[in-house]
Amino acid sequence: MMSENVLEIKNLVKDYPGVRAVNDVSFEIKRNTVHCLVGENGAGKSTLIKILTGAVQRTQGVVILNGQEYCANNPKEAKQKGISTLFQELNVVDQLTVEENLTLGMEDTSFGFLKKTSKIKKIIDVLASLEPSINPRQYVSTLSVAKKQIVEIAKAVASDAEIIIMDEPTAAISEGEIKRLFQIIRGLREKNVTVIYISHRLDEIFTLGDYVTVMRDGCHIETKKVSDVADRSELIKMMIGKTIFEAYTPPETPAVETILEVKNLNNHKLKDISFSVKKGEIVGFYGLVGAGKTELARAIYGLDPYEGDILYKNEMLNPSPSDAIAAGIALVPEERRSQGLFTVLTIRGNVPVMNMKKISNKGFINKAKETHATLEYIDKLNIATSGIEKEVSKLSGGNQQKVVFSKCLFADADLLMLDEPTRGIDVGAKSEIYNIIRQLSKEGKSIMIFSSELPEIINMCDSIYLLYDGEVKASLCNSCDINSEMIIHIVTGGE
Amino acid sequence: MTQKKLCRSTDWRRTIKNVYIYVVLVLIVVIFSVVKLDQVKLFGRGHFLSPDSITNLLRMAVPIMTVSGGFTLLMISEYIDLSVGSAMSLSAVVFSWLVLNGFSFIPAFLMTMVMGVLLGAINGFLVMKLRITPVIATLVTLNLYKGAALLIVPDGISGIKSTDIQQMPSWISDYARQKVLFGLPASFVVALVVIAILVVLQRKTLIGKYSAAIGGNRTAAELSGINVVKMVWLLYIIVGILAAMAGIARASYMSLGDPLSGDGMETDCIIAVLLGGTAFTGGEGSVAKTIIGALIIMCMTTGLMTVIDPYYQTFAKSVVLILAVTLNHLLVRQKVSA
Amino acid sequence: MMNGNSIQKTTRKGKMSNESFITLFMFVVLVALFCIACLFVPNFYMGQNILNLVTNYWYVIIIGIGVTFLLTTGNFDMSVGGVIAMTGVLSVYFCQSTDGSQPLAVGLGLPYGIAVVLALLCALCIGAINAFFIAKLRVASIIITLGTMSFARGIGQIVTLGAQRNTSLPEAYGVIGNAAIPGTSVKLSVLIMVLIVIIAVVIEKKTVFGRRTYLIGANSEAARLSGVKVTKHLTLLYLASALLAGVTGLLLASEYKAGISGRATGYEFDALVITLLGGTSISGGFGSVLGTVVGALILSVVTSSATGLLLSPDWQFTIKGVVTFLAILAQRFALDRRKG
Repeated sequence: MMSENVLEIKNLVKDYPGVRAVNDVSFEIKRNTVHCLVGENGAGKSTLIKILTGAVQRTQGVVILNGQEYCANNPKEAKQKGISTLFQELNVVDQLTVEENLTLGMEDTSFGFLKKTSKIKKIIDVLASLEPSINPRQYVSTLSVAKKQIVEIAKAVASDAEIIIMDEPTAAISEGEIKRLFQIIRGLREKNVTVIYISHRLDEIFTLGDYVTVMRDGCHIETKKVSDVADRSELIKMMIGKTIFEAYTPPETPAVETILEVKNLNNHKLKDISFSVKKGEIVGFYGLVGAGKTELARAIYGLDPYEGDILYKNEMLNPSPSDAIAAGIALVPEERRSQGLFTVLTIRGNVPVMNMKKISNKGFINKAKETHATLEYIDKLNIATSGIEKEVSKLSGGNQQKVVFSKCLFADADLLMLDEPTRGIDVGAKSEIYNIIRQLSKEGKSIMIFSSELPEIINMCDSIYLLYDGEVKASLCNSCDINSEMIIHIVTGGE
Repeated sequence: MTQKKLCRSTDWRRTIKNVYIYVVLVLIVVIFSVVKLDQVKLFGRGHFLSPDSITNLLRMAVPIMTVSGGFTLLMISEYIDLSVGSAMSLSAVVFSWLVLNGFSFIPAFLMTMVMGVLLGAINGFLVMKLRITPVIATLVTLNLYKGAALLIVPDGISGIKSTDIQQMPSWISDYARQKVLFGLPASFVVALVVIAILVVLQRKTLIGKYSAAIGGNRTAAELSGINVVKMVWLLYIIVGILAAMAGIARASYMSLGDPLSGDGMETDCIIAVLLGGTAFTGGEGSVAKTIIGALIIMCMTTGLMTVIDPYYQTFAKSVVLILAVTLNHLLVRQKVSA
Repeated sequence: MMNGNSIQKTTRKGKMSNESFITLFMFVVLVALFCIACLFVPNFYMGQNILNLVTNYWYVIIIGIGVTFLLTTGNFDMSVGGVIAMTGVLSVYFCQSTDGSQPLAVGLGLPYGIAVVLALLCALCIGAINAFFIAKLRVASIIITLGTMSFARGIGQIVTLGAQRNTSLPEAYGVIGNAAIPGTSVKLSVLIMVLIVIIAVVIEKKTVFGRRTYLIGANSEAARLSGVKVTKHLTLLYLASALLAGVTGLLLASEYKAGISGRATGYEFDALVITLLGGTSISGGFGSVLGTVVGALILSVVTSSATGLLLSPDWQFTIKGVVTFLAILAQRFALDRRKG
């Protein structure tokens, strides 16, 4: 007897040191529906998904799949038990054909020889029923991102997935491709597959979804039939709730001098972006996944090629990180562990890295200066550690981020670009970092914050640019009345 | 508009990629055929394309033809084995030792093959279980196997061969020299069979598909349930077996077990694999094309011997390697490592 | 949150870095091996023998330094042996006198100083080729350096017609290779080695350049984002490695007053062995010149013991393989125990 619910989540809790990412969440997902999951960054939906895919283990609570308790220790197990996931990093092998990808791990063989049995034919037919225009014999490398996604979907369906989780699948595909993808997703309901669809593009929820679950601050807010949701603003209200944003205080002396000017910036992701940053100003770039925030930071920092003009202190920038740093720009990267820090080294080994000149004399490192500088920043930024020789891998997320900040501050940067500066950091450390940022602005440094957390942007920034799909959709100054609903409306694709 | 342009240029690229190796082979053959035409007759005695020299070339090509196919599969899965040369030498030594000490051909052959399995398994163990970087692990085994080969050979003589006490039976050279098919020896036929098997393995079995998957996108491979450790271990064992067969062929050809006979085989394999268009970052490659690459190397080696003095050989080969690396870099799409 | 006063400049209990730990660990291994050798090998503890142990591998240590820096960044350089041979041969060829009948006795007749400088420039060219393919084109270092190894050696073979050049040399040629500290048998080459080691240790531990090497090895992406010019740095390392090999080649050629095309065969592997014995790891920004020196001493003790026990030189390969393997395992074991 098949129950109505394919998945039941009961009192799910996930704790990390210092933060409860998922807080007693309970809801049900009905069989053969498209169930959307929405929520801001930090709402807990990614952690919830990670529990379902086996990437992390739950702290408390139960997940019931088809009436039986479900637990997966790793993504492979999750897949075997019926939950497949479409990640942003596609899991197809470019060098194999479509057919080979579809059947990867599910081949029929006799003595190791691949056989084209009826099972194999069925698998290929799944793809044909979803998207007949894909030739099974072509190499996946020749396919567009959208078609690769469809191949992955077909593979999941063919491996008898009960649930396919799709995480922001439309971030990298065109409108026409989105329409086609939606047709396919709708068709999955007839193939006995339930789709959990995560997206911040609210229009998609209304177009595609049967049900929607809204999460906020780790809690489950509501689960409703999409047809029962009045409009975007109802969803938005649920997403942001009654969050009272910390009052923004404008600076005492308004910023005057322009320090960075960007004109008509274009590259593979960015479309004709123009803006300027003044000395001492805190400028925010708000957008959700795929909006182009990191790409913008990378372009200015000289990591990616671009067309357009970037003038820093009235001079053209040489496109390389070392030149950017020398000119006075520093980047706090999105991934602090893999991009911002040298985790095998100590705090002392990390802090001076971006400005070795300051601690060295004619190429020779002055250990006293190095120690002094490290202590100075441990003190200034209140980094909790027992000593400067601590390996940064052993620090908490907040303290790690402070080390990255120290690096950039040590580089005597006049312009700091912060990419998701408080992601994965507990509340206490977050507020400390905000204070640091405000202090820097008072000292005359300019800050660019690229973030997908609205409270952060509204809390900190003097000017706000809203990004969606690589474009600046709107710009606001913070001293005017901020309508957060309108902001979310814009960054989720509204006009 | 840009989309169309891109397609055309990638098609171009792809065609060049598939075809250039045959062009190179033909070129090389033509060059060497033409170079001494003033002195010798076309296809006549002493000419590059004379039946004798073709036979000779193919006979000498047996070891690399045997090994490089398996080497390709390993490289496709993004692993490497630098010990193939030493494994080959050790096999040559062991095989000759067995023959010298009274074993007949088939038992000696089989026992040496078993040793080849062992040598490959050791490599697999170091790399997959102990997770030592493949380059370092196989450099270690390179020395271990080479050392073993040198130690088996008694001091003072160059290899396992006839002594005052024991006689190396004369039939030992039959395998690699006695004409069996179109003037070519059994070892060549075996090499052809090996190549055929490997081509089939690559195109029609799990081994070929999985090695491309592992090298192409290891995460995807693991997620699909492929046991990467077992698969790559198997590939190392295959290479070990092939190295053993190559060693047997070499020992038979020389009628002695020379502990240095395999030196440089790994470089030759690398050149063959590069020429054949295998990507060093894994996922792409073809056994058949590698064999063409191996033929190119053999043509160069034997052809050069007639044209230039032997002391130019190392230099010439290194130039080929560097050119092959450049060609490979330009034509083969390497994955961007994450 | 603790701060200010309670922050210590070094951590408690004098905890040393992982590098120092491994170097110390391997030093203990060295001492242990030495003691064992003294028990089994006749006359091992004699002063002259100890001196030899320390000075035997001076040439491997010099090229080992280049290999150590490169391995710390995750790259190999297998061309060093070939560069040694090539530089030696070319230096002879450049200053052999121009008159003579035998082809191997006739050279370019350049003054000794110029010949030496020119030969070193040629060595640098090999380094440049390495740097181009590895730093610029991002080709796998093991592949291309195997190629340049043969390339350099091949040049040596061509110039010597496969043998060696050892005649018609200016007087000055044999000087630096054979000079010794008066009263001892310690050669100038050994002193040069010591000097280079000291310079290398200083660079590694005390300079920005050394620090950047570790950074690239630890996380090349973060290094790049932190403003390290990775391509430039790797280029310099490959040039330096080639230069060290070139200097070694000159010293050896001067010592034997001959440019031999077969010289230094296998030295590149020895350099890698001592680097690995010293604890340098390919995957972690972990490297130590002192460790490499300790590694060279370990190799020296082991190979001398083998000779002392009258084992044939054929044992060398097996010994090196086994020793390297055991060292890798032992280091991994020791580090895991330390962390866990």
